[in-house]
Amino acid sequence: MLSLLLKSIRSRIIPTSLVTISLMASMVLLLSIERIQQGAEEGFNQSISGVDAIIGPRSSSLELVLYTVFHIGRPTNNITTKTIDDIRQRNDIDWIVPIALGDSHKDFRVVATESNYFEHIKYANNKSLTLSKGKVFSDLSEVVLGADVAEKLNYIVGSKIQITHGSTESTSNKHDDFLFEISGILNKTGTPIDQAVFLDLKGYELLHLGWKSGRKVFSLDKIDLSTIPKEDLNPKTLTAAFVGLKSKLTLFNFTKSIREYPNEAISAVIPGIALSELWSIVGLVDKGFQLLSWIIIAISLIAMITLIIASLENRKHEMTIYRANGASPRFLSGMVVYEALFIGLVAIFGAIILVSIVTYFATSQLNSTLGISPAFKWISFGEVKVFSIILLAGVLSSLIPAIMVFRKNLHQTLN
Amino acid sequence: MLKATGLKYRYQYGNTIQFPEIEIERGQRLLISGFSGCGKTTLLSLIAGTLKLQDGDITFDKHEYSKMSSILLDKFRADHIGYIFQTLNLIPFLSVSENIALGIKFSSTRKSKVNDLSQEVVRLITSLGLEEEILNTPIDHLSVGQQQRAAVARALLGMPDLILADEPTSALDNDTTKKFLREVMNTFDPSHQAIIMVSHDLSIASYFDTVIDFNKHNA
Repeated sequence: MLSLLLKSIRSRIIPTSLVTISLMASMVLLLSIERIQQGAEEGFNQSISGVDAIIGPRSSSLELVLYTVFHIGRPTNNITTKTIDDIRQRNDIDWIVPIALGDSHKDFRVVATESNYFEHIKYANNKSLTLSKGKVFSDLSEVVLGADVAEKLNYIVGSKIQITHGSTESTSNKHDDFLFEISGILNKTGTPIDQAVFLDLKGYELLHLGWKSGRKVFSLDKIDLSTIPKEDLNPKTLTAAFVGLKSKLTLFNFTKSIREYPNEAISAVIPGIALSELWSIVGLVDKGFQLLSWIIIAISLIAMITLIIASLENRKHEMTIYRANGASPRFLSGMVVYEALFIGLVAIFGAIILVSIVTYFATSQLNSTLGISPAFKWISFGEVKVFSIILLAGVLSSLIPAIMVFRKNLHQTLN
Repeated sequence: MLKATGLKYRYQYGNTIQFPEIEIERGQRLLISGFSGCGKTTLLSLIAGTLKLQDGDITFDKHEYSKMSSILLDKFRADHIGYIFQTLNLIPFLSVSENIALGIKFSSTRKSKVNDLSQEVVRLITSLGLEEEILNTPIDHLSVGQQQRAAVARALLGMPDLILADEPTSALDNDTTKKFLREVMNTFDPSHQAIIMVSHDLSIASYFDTVIDFNKHNA
């Protein structure tokens, strides 16, 4: 039957190929969405890595993750340095990296932190931050740039930049009395780190010495910076702190005790959980795309069945000759079902090969432009399930023309 | 070998046709003649077993069609009957030899009667007046006469007991018809086979032992 079927399909190669290609294209779409979604979710969930908890003023965990990890929105409150210092003394803490947010440079957010930020904060699967050029800041007048900042603004190590007070660029709120020198540029990570400017907390504090309630009271130009007592440059308040614990087993106790911290209303979130929560909201768009691709697959299957039904009239002659030579109606309807199966299988294998090749060659491009790294794989168990459903749907729907053939040929005159 | 008695067929649109009794033995050549639409093809389809019996019965070597399921009838047809159509006998996307080989594709009984398929195909086509080269010629390059001969070769392959031919000469001119029938009758094996041909053309009656004229029967 197979050889007859293949020859029959070959005689109708153009319409059959077009239907196979349309079915394959819709499966490529579904597979791509699936793989990009997985890559994006993985990338999203690994926007920050190596951090056990994020401590910030008491607010919703989503809010805290949004401004500390994604630099979106702004904190409603700060926490005192004393609280962070208290927590630093705890035995279960391995390391703590405080950050202060609020300023920006040409719409890129400024993250004021300590130099150990670059040692402890990881991304993706526990990958360390690395510098493409220069070194980590070692002086309060030095800054480190994320890869996108340097690329978009064409900065090189040694360039001098000014910081803007707040997140909106304007001349009135510039810290134009102090220039920072770029000491290093980070390698691309595909995370919000690429779009941040990092400077020392002391430098950040220095910038704000002459500011009160969001307005500049005096300029640093008029002061001899060496006369400023060192303790004056210690920040009084911070935005949040990233924490690494000695043992992951103490994580839930730690977050609980932070929530119950008596002297200040603070909270601790576990980044993995908060990011998953956030993805469940962001991922809705992706579900919409998935629904769309299922609709396209359904349309392609309908097109396939339409083609088979339409071709039956032209194949009447072929079927009658088979029938006269002893073929049963079951054999003829079997040919119709096998044809749908064949088209489905070719479309599936074509889609898998096409998507795998594209994934293989486009991974680095996707990673550098979108920060998405779809893993290279031929097929996953989930995809096998999806394809089985499509194939089953194709075969089941081919039963319509198959039954038509069966009924027509059960009692058919041979003319 | 075959006996059809009391056959009556009611078409969907209400017309009923009653067929004469038909009896044929091995070696016999029967011509059924009649005007277009008199039910000749319906009768062949009933004998081939593709059309379900409504009234009457057909007995083929003690096998009663009325007692056979449609699956058994399909197998029975594949094993015992070779069929030739009026026109469009060949499947265009198959080669001539593949078209001829279809004759035994669905029957292990007929397959077992063919020792060497390609040799037997060549024997049949040369006996029917065709050149061996024709086996590699695309179907649409063949004349109607050549196509009909290839169809006869398919119907004869594997020595079925009964050959049914539905107006195989209708598209042929007089001379080709005579040549065609001569070659068919020469190739057909009267010791094992019988042939039933339907045609509206009574001028070919001399090639047959028995003629049933539907026009007279229905008159």
